[in-house]
Amino acid sequence: MQAIGNPEYPYNIYLVGVGGQGILTIGEIISQAVNLQGLPVNFYPTKGMAQRGGFVKAQLRIGKDLVGPAIPERGAHLVLAMERSESLKAVRYLKPGGDFLLWDYIWAPTAVMLGQAFYPELDVVKEQVQTAQGKFIVVSPSLLADFEGNPAPDNIFLLGIALRRTSLGKVVTFSAAEEALKNRFKRFTSRNLFALKAGYNLEL
Amino acid sequence: MSKEIVTGNEALALGALRAGAKVITGYPGTPSSEAIGFLLSHPELWKEKGVHVEWSTNEKVAFEIAAGAAWAGQRALVTMKMSGLNVAFDSVISIAYSGINGGLVIYVADDPGVSAGMAEQDTRGFAFMSDLPMLEACSVKEAYLLVPKAFELSEKTKSPVFLRLTTAVSQSHAPVELELPYYLPLEREILLERDIQRYTKAGALICMAQHRDLIQRLEKSKELIREMKLNEFSLSKKKGQLGILASGVSYSYLEEGLLLASQFGLDPEEVSILKVVSVNPFPEEEAKLLLENSELILVLEELEPYMEKNLILLARKLGLRRRIVGKLDGTLERIGDYSVREVLLGISAALGLKIPPELFYGIQAEKLAAPRPITVCAGCPHRGTFMAINNGIRKAGFKKDQVMVTGDIGCTILGMNPPFNTVWNEVSMGASIGIAQGYVHAGINSPVIATIGDSTFFHAGIPPLINAIQYQVPLTLIVMDNGWTAMTGMQFNPGTSEKFLPQGSRRVDLEKLIPGLGVENFWVVDPYDYRKMSEIILKALKLEGVKVILARRECAIQAMRRGERTGKVQVNPEKCTLCKSCLTITGCPALSIGEKAMEIDQTLCNGCGLCLFTCGYKALEREEA
Repeated sequence: MQAIGNPEYPYNIYLVGVGGQGILTIGEIISQAVNLQGLPVNFYPTKGMAQRGGFVKAQLRIGKDLVGPAIPERGAHLVLAMERSESLKAVRYLKPGGDFLLWDYIWAPTAVMLGQAFYPELDVVKEQVQTAQGKFIVVSPSLLADFEGNPAPDNIFLLGIALRRTSLGKVVTFSAAEEALKNRFKRFTSRNLFALKAGYNLEL
Repeated sequence: MSKEIVTGNEALALGALRAGAKVITGYPGTPSSEAIGFLLSHPELWKEKGVHVEWSTNEKVAFEIAAGAAWAGQRALVTMKMSGLNVAFDSVISIAYSGINGGLVIYVADDPGVSAGMAEQDTRGFAFMSDLPMLEACSVKEAYLLVPKAFELSEKTKSPVFLRLTTAVSQSHAPVELELPYYLPLEREILLERDIQRYTKAGALICMAQHRDLIQRLEKSKELIREMKLNEFSLSKKKGQLGILASGVSYSYLEEGLLLASQFGLDPEEVSILKVVSVNPFPEEEAKLLLENSELILVLEELEPYMEKNLILLARKLGLRRRIVGKLDGTLERIGDYSVREVLLGISAALGLKIPPELFYGIQAEKLAAPRPITVCAGCPHRGTFMAINNGIRKAGFKKDQVMVTGDIGCTILGMNPPFNTVWNEVSMGASIGIAQGYVHAGINSPVIATIGDSTFFHAGIPPLINAIQYQVPLTLIVMDNGWTAMTGMQFNPGTSEKFLPQGSRRVDLEKLIPGLGVENFWVVDPYDYRKMSEIILKALKLEGVKVILARRECAIQAMRRGERTGKVQVNPEKCTLCKSCLTITGCPALSIGEKAMEIDQTLCNGCGLCLFTCGYKALEREEA
């Protein structure tokens, strides 16, 4: 399967969020899935210094054997963001016409909670994405499905949404994502598979 | 063959196993840590084969162990981040003079773009200084393939060989065809060679003879590298004027950059390319071909213009006048990591192409994001220490800006950030204790406090403490002992509980070591015990001489991973006035402001209870676990 767009370019995904949200797991699953499909991939996570609660980003480049790990600015076909404020850091990497999928979770830094710093409104993100000529897709965390009485893993839920609602679906097949999930989660397999499917089937 | 997704660091480790390395050592440091980390979590790959893998006390020790094994005829790998090479270098240059017997590969990871803090140093400079060969991989796959070649080169030249990766390669995950079996043992006889001409440095004759040998070994490596075809020159298919020299990760952006530039008038078939893998020795033969076949040459390398200077020198030697585009003419930066942008900037500067700048620059929306300074985790014992230092300084009658609190490497530096604003500076492993003594001798009138973590103290903190004891320098040292090398991803260290050390290891207990050095005023305190901690700090600030406080409590993340909580803290909404003191003073990520009362995220809170000390309304309640 060839990456979409110009076949000679890699398909680029820029992931952002806060440490602990599972954004790197999304990157890992996508890498494993495309590897199962026989596509080359380079997955470059940047964890920063914090174990939890710091900015985390990851860059995925799919479909090209030798490829530089960093996505150029205006080069990402897809941005997957799991935190509203941090999502702004991905805008400069969005390709005009690319998809910007935001899981609109708010993880307010302490200074924001104490009223010492501002926190962006959702419209600010939307406006920036539109200025970058991207397609803005926002999903409220209130839509997260429950699995056996507990919230399903939101990162995998978001991956399911991306497979259906963004260009990712043209690169990664649902069954490869399922297979990668099974390999990655020897425990909690069913709840992750459920989350993927529920995200995929979510009506927006 | 087995095609697996591995990281650059894992590829390095797997390459060393495949090359039959017998001894593998290192000290943790982002972006290099996962090489040893991977091996330690996969003992099935090496343990029964008699391979020795360890986290050493510091990089110098790690290097010396690997070098000893290589002197004895075995293959050995040592791993470190760039800062670690500064620590190890005293021994590296000495071993460079002597040469080795079994292959010795020194893996160093540089961090252009600073993903993990510290200087943006270019360790290629160390290869030139020590006349040691240095190879650099442009991708994860190449990292795996280069390791056996580095060992081969090392053995054939009897010289240690550097293998350098940068963050973007060492941290990347990519599919690699791994050869099976993973470990290929080598039959080696142990060498016990006594030759003081080679293995000592006593005397000018010995050292100068070794220096001559060293230079000859590097000369020899030039031929071998050519035979091994490590560097690749590809002549343009059509006659053109542009040549590109690229090394390391910059090479991996080349194809994409050429393709993009082709939309603005470049014909990629008119470009000659030299990929440099051996950054030392500089591949003069191949570079000569590049110079002879190009009118102007773009040099793509991150950080310092080393290849560029070599190329200029060579052009002069050959009497060729060429325009060289790179850093020295101001086209590209010496700062930060490179991407396809630098390829385009370079090509467009070289050929005068009109590439619209908006192609490289997106919408800078990040300035609208909320600032997110990193702080310590929920339940982190360091929180208690920072709070108590601030309290102790206040109670001793000083303002915070009157008391110097030196900082060190690792999680303990997070005290520099709000809400604590406790720590003033950060230099290098162990430096907090030396810097503190400098402030004292400078004539400061207020107390001086030094802070350091456990692993950092073992690494390089003991000599400066000995110095302070010898000269009875009045200072208070707080060793923040959380039992793990935490910031680099939870490696064990000499002070880690024996439960978590490799079988047969013994824990080195700081509680015995520090008084053993001759520290009379020494306390061991639990940083969760805020009152006691504050009281001891206050006491220490008023005493003469060297005082050491061992603030001891295991890293909360590690304890939580085992399901251990110290208790449970809840908010009594009847009593909470939403004064927010708890959040203002502790900055704990588990606390948030609810509608009528503060809220605690029970998945993060480990019940440390430090917030209880900040509440004037007794609205926070703790149950012991």
